[in-house]
Amino acid sequence: MEKSIEYANITRDLLPMRFSRWGKVWTAILLAFCAAGAFAWILQLKNGLVVTAMGDYVSWGIYISNFVFFVAISLVGSLITAVLRLANVHWSTPLTRIAEIIAVSAIVFASLIIVVDMGRPERFLNLLLHGRMQSPIIWDVIVISTYFILSLLLLYFPLLPDLKILIRAKETTGPRLNKLYRFLGSFWKGTPEQVRLSEKAINIMCVTIIPVAFCIHTVTSWLFATTYRPGWDSTNFGAYFISGAFLVGAGAVVVAMFVFRKAYHLEKYITELHFDKMGKVLVMLALLYLYFNINEYLVPAFKMRKPEAAHLEDLFAGEYAPMFWFAIFTGMLVPIVILLFKKGRRPLPMFIAGLMVVVGAWFKRYLIVTPTLLHPFLPMQGVAEKFHHYFPSWQEWAITMGSLAGTLLIITFFARIFPIIPIHETIIEQHEKAV
Amino acid sequence: MKRLYNYLPVCVCVLALLTIGELTAAQETTKQDSTRNDVLVTVGYHNVNNQWSYLSVHAKAKLNGKFQSVKGAKFHVYLDKDSAGTLVGDLVTDDKGDAVTTLKPSLKDQWKSGTTHTFIALYDGDAHYNASKTEAVVKEARLKVDTAEGRNIVVSVEELKDGAWTPVKAVEIKVAVKRLQSDMPVSDKESFTTDSTGKITAEFKRDGLPGGDKGLLTLIAKVEDNDTYGNLQVEKTVPWGAVLKPVSNFDERSLWAARFKTPVWLLLMEYFIFFSVWSVLIYLVFQIARIKKAGMPG
Repeated sequence: MEKSIEYANITRDLLPMRFSRWGKVWTAILLAFCAAGAFAWILQLKNGLVVTAMGDYVSWGIYISNFVFFVAISLVGSLITAVLRLANVHWSTPLTRIAEIIAVSAIVFASLIIVVDMGRPERFLNLLLHGRMQSPIIWDVIVISTYFILSLLLLYFPLLPDLKILIRAKETTGPRLNKLYRFLGSFWKGTPEQVRLSEKAINIMCVTIIPVAFCIHTVTSWLFATTYRPGWDSTNFGAYFISGAFLVGAGAVVVAMFVFRKAYHLEKYITELHFDKMGKVLVMLALLYLYFNINEYLVPAFKMRKPEAAHLEDLFAGEYAPMFWFAIFTGMLVPIVILLFKKGRRPLPMFIAGLMVVVGAWFKRYLIVTPTLLHPFLPMQGVAEKFHHYFPSWQEWAITMGSLAGTLLIITFFARIFPIIPIHETIIEQHEKAV
Repeated sequence: MKRLYNYLPVCVCVLALLTIGELTAAQETTKQDSTRNDVLVTVGYHNVNNQWSYLSVHAKAKLNGKFQSVKGAKFHVYLDKDSAGTLVGDLVTDDKGDAVTTLKPSLKDQWKSGTTHTFIALYDGDAHYNASKTEAVVKEARLKVDTAEGRNIVVSVEELKDGAWTPVKAVEIKVAVKRLQSDMPVSDKESFTTDSTGKITAEFKRDGLPGGDKGLLTLIAKVEDNDTYGNLQVEKTVPWGAVLKPVSNFDERSLWAARFKTPVWLLLMEYFIFFSVWSVLIYLVFQIARIKKAGMPG
């Protein structure tokens, strides 16, 4: 009897809740950003890519930086869900759905931002009709679609037992959502055969998603590394991208953990222990990424070949130096210092460190893309002076901010509709602990 | 006479004033001249393959302690004498201070009238540079290239003397192979000097040099900036190069080829990975159907 009350409490705590006043304000702000982004995109569709600040030199500007950022952040799904699950780590259970929805929303906007960057969306069809199988761009399109489907399935399968709970809680969730829950999972009865099939499917997905996730990041890095340019001409780029992706993904989960914990009062489920564990993961990943950064910058800086030198000087002491050092300190060094100490792995400092990692990572992606394009091995002759510098136009900023807001909006709506912490798994774990 | 003496002081004063005026004017002119720079002009005579000749003019000036090319300087170049009938051409220097003109057929008679000729380059001057006149004297000469056994190149220099071609000794000659960017010396020796027979012999030591699909190389013998003969150059094609059969992989399967020329190994790898992963995805979707079926009553 006591246990059933306890399980009822867990269910009540973890059921999706209506937006509070702050939730509504937050959603409205995100919708406003999305609307501004959509308006800017309409302008771009109407007038062409001329509305952007991209030119002969910087042909991949803020859009591709943003794309790389989204791709990076999406890796977290495979880290938290697959890697930790396969390693039989149980403390990550409350974080799996947060990680998965971050992955799905990020990959959705990674795909969209590529279409935005193409200028004319209908030309995406040309990629399928006339694409070359030798091109990393085609590989990227294939692997992103694969990763999206896989992430969606990995989100869906563990949701099935929760859908049963949600269908039962019709009075709390309301009739409209109940319809959706029924459509998605009315067939789930929790029979041993269903549980067996579901467990098997989840295990297969966890095994499959890891190489696919590695592929998506490696192939994205090859978009750059197979192009002969200073800063990109590196055999290290795949590992460099993967380590950076793990870091930013983990940082995003930490931020989301803190926000959901506060917003939905989930202190019982996302405990200080989770922050401590995630803090240790985050500091390890930050150190790993720092190691790859040293490799990426120190080795070319040691040789200082002429075209590399111009690029590196621009980063270390030139036009991009403030942004570069901001990204290094904010994205790696300061979080490492914070997280190395136990006190730094408490919720609030963790939130700050996670936020710094995510913000630093966004600027890092910008620095990977733009300064390199300004320093080609073969400089173009007779181009306009403005092409030697790049600062995104307001349309580019609006679309970028809109896409970032869109990602957060997907996560927000998901948390409104579905339990952000797996209810069924939490109950099972509580039960196992009790036994 | 007495009346003349009365006017003498006035005349002296007028003369003095005129003299002062002239002197001041002369001083002004000198001042103006001193603000203008002198142009250093080099006139070069060039003969290619003993067939066609051209003249080059290079203008430079010393500005702020450094030599700089003079752009847009206008020259009138004459052959032997400064007259309308012997005008070789009116030249204007380019960004590098260079200008070139060929010798017109109308000057053939003038050219045949002697064996030594003077090219006169007149520069009118402008607001920045003083006018100048530069002369270059050249003797008519020719170069001959022949090949001997063992891949030896024999070059001879002859000048026109009393209607006959006479060998010239002590002339410095460079022998090279024509390449795309510059000329490559045929051996480690940079230059050769003609002997009493007016000849030099250079050994060709560039074996294996690519010579296109027929293995042909173009030898060049050059006399450069010679005070007496100017610049002479003669070319000869020899089959001493390595035959280079161009290999085109344009239509082959490669990573950089067109769409339908993807390497087979890459296609196999890609299809293997793609179908392996997507078969798993299809299997997973199929599992949903199985789960659905397993949930049905009965």
